[in-house]
Amino acid sequence: MKESFLLALRAFMRGRVALLLLVAVGLIHWLMPDFVRSDGTASGILEMHVRIVPGFAAAVILLTVLSTSCGMFARERELKRLSLTLVRPASAWGVVCGKWLATTVLAAAAIALSSVLVLAMPPALPGQAGVPPCRHHYEPTLPPPAVVAGHILGGYLRDPATPEAVRKAPKRAVLALLTTKEMDRYDVVKPGETMVWPFDVPRLKRQMEEGAELTLRVRFSTQFELRTPVAGILTLGDMSAVVSNSTQAVIEIPLARTGKGDGVPSPLNLTFANTGRSAVMIRPRRDLVVLAPADSFAWNLLRSQIEVWSLAAMLAAYGLFLSAALSRPVALFTALVSLAVVLMAPSVVAQFPDEFNASFADRFGLWLSRAVQSATHSVSAPSPITDLATGRAIEGAELLRTLAGNVLLLPGMLLSLAAFIVRRKPFADG
Amino acid sequence: MNDAVIEIHGLVKTFRDFWLRPLASALRGVDLTVGRGDVFGLLGPNGSGKSTTIKLILGLLRPTAGEVRLFGLSPRSRRARARLGYLPELSYLHPFLTARETVLYYAGLSGLDRRTSRERAAELLSRMGLEGSADRAVGGFSKGMARKVAFAAALVSHPELLVLDEPTSGLDPLATRDVKELIRTLAAGGMTVLVTSHQLFDMQDVCTRVSILSQGKVVGEGAVADIVAASADPRHALEDYFAAAVGAKEGNPA
Repeated sequence: MKESFLLALRAFMRGRVALLLLVAVGLIHWLMPDFVRSDGTASGILEMHVRIVPGFAAAVILLTVLSTSCGMFARERELKRLSLTLVRPASAWGVVCGKWLATTVLAAAAIALSSVLVLAMPPALPGQAGVPPCRHHYEPTLPPPAVVAGHILGGYLRDPATPEAVRKAPKRAVLALLTTKEMDRYDVVKPGETMVWPFDVPRLKRQMEEGAELTLRVRFSTQFELRTPVAGILTLGDMSAVVSNSTQAVIEIPLARTGKGDGVPSPLNLTFANTGRSAVMIRPRRDLVVLAPADSFAWNLLRSQIEVWSLAAMLAAYGLFLSAALSRPVALFTALVSLAVVLMAPSVVAQFPDEFNASFADRFGLWLSRAVQSATHSVSAPSPITDLATGRAIEGAELLRTLAGNVLLLPGMLLSLAAFIVRRKPFADG
Repeated sequence: MNDAVIEIHGLVKTFRDFWLRPLASALRGVDLTVGRGDVFGLLGPNGSGKSTTIKLILGLLRPTAGEVRLFGLSPRSRRARARLGYLPELSYLHPFLTARETVLYYAGLSGLDRRTSRERAAELLSRMGLEGSADRAVGGFSKGMARKVAFAAALVSHPELLVLDEPTSGLDPLATRDVKELIRTLAAGGMTVLVTSHQLFDMQDVCTRVSILSQGKVVGEGAVADIVAASADPRHALEDYFAAAVGAKEGNPA
């Protein structure tokens, strides 16, 4: 493994791949804010600094890693060098792993440079910090949407009034539809009524006990998407806030202590008492977030860049796997097409939730997108750059989950397959 | 104790397409035995199956039928590969590595420790006359120098069996003489050498035994000394033997 690692590392350094990548990352950070103008507002400048520039740099790094790894074995085979390695007693797995490790080191170097440049070149924002605050995001502790969808479907099937078409429809499709609907479900709070949402998060409770300053991010809506005044009282444990705003905008409301000193109740609930004249609607899974202070932007940047690196590690393993099986151009083409499919699948699923009136081709596309989405969820779900830009603290458990999937599990499988193919591929050197 | 280093019995190799339909029969029942200390020449016209035989011996291909044993082991086993050195027809070296790094890289792949690798690399590069160029990138080497580096890489693990595929291909007469001298020295040291070449004069100079392949079959085999002794023209003994064997197989007059 060591020889293969050092060889690949030398190839990156002496073949100037590493130099070109680092220069490209440097130029992106240095020139992009001047070439791609933001809207001039403080939030626009901040967006450019913490989302667009590091996001573009990350995309360049990931594509470089993918294209480089796609050529590794394919090129060795084309240049008839692979046989010289395979006749040695070294294990194919060690050879594959060495190449993968070297590629992840290349990615780590480029990502580290990108991170340093984000910190070293903060935008000049008069009277404002150069980076967004980093906060824990706590969402209501609701049952998973798929479970709720299952209960709703069970209810439909037990109800004799349910139309025959619903009974005969494929259960998976109905469940998928109901799950999507559940994600966007609105709770309606009529004037004079109170609605309760559970926020039973141990960490939030701990922070409340320690006296953390909390903010509620909320979006109120109305049925007809009109701007309507909204008034009410929000209460979370011994904290509360008076709402006097309008619907349709995402607002952040600081919660203040009521001074009762009752401590944090168990279970912890968020209540909204509507004291206004209009009914308001809230999507509990999308419109309600409790924000609590987290550590610094630099730490969140580090965690987000570790997530980017984990993606690079996974892509490197995928590229090596393709490279072991296919020629270089075919491997690269396959990698890019599959990457596009993985990136598009969630949008396809979100855009076409109703498959009952769709053509066969659309239904097939939807089925394929759902399959791809569920198979690659662990890879496509993390959005480190968006989290960084929105100031959402990437939690330790979340980071560990991402690392376990993207650095251990998936690469372990892909590299084992690559080693198997390298050893078994019949025309070893063509 | 079995003194055969390579044993091949009834070796058949048929290449197939994606749908597993037969494309070409490269070997059609080859039997060979290479004894310890032999310099064994595997000869044959283009397309006779020499390269396929070499790849099967190296464990890079799997036989369709028959068996290959190296030191009584499967050629794909790690223990067999640890006792093997291989020089391919062209010197496929990494151009960005220096000569020393190239030899150290293959030493590492062969499982040699760092200290032994360094000593062995220095010794072999010196033996090949490359001390002055040891720290230059091999991408800038001439074909002869690259060949020497590849030779050093093949020898770095003290192999018991050295497989040389066209070792003198493209070399000038002086470099060819050096390679032949090296093969003789290695054989004198007890190493078994399997060599393929189209240079029959060179093969006659260095080989102790030869086997001639044609159309995937062995059409002649014997000790070079016997072939020379039986020939009317000892200088061209192997050439005549080759022409007779291959000509008879392919239906041409010798």
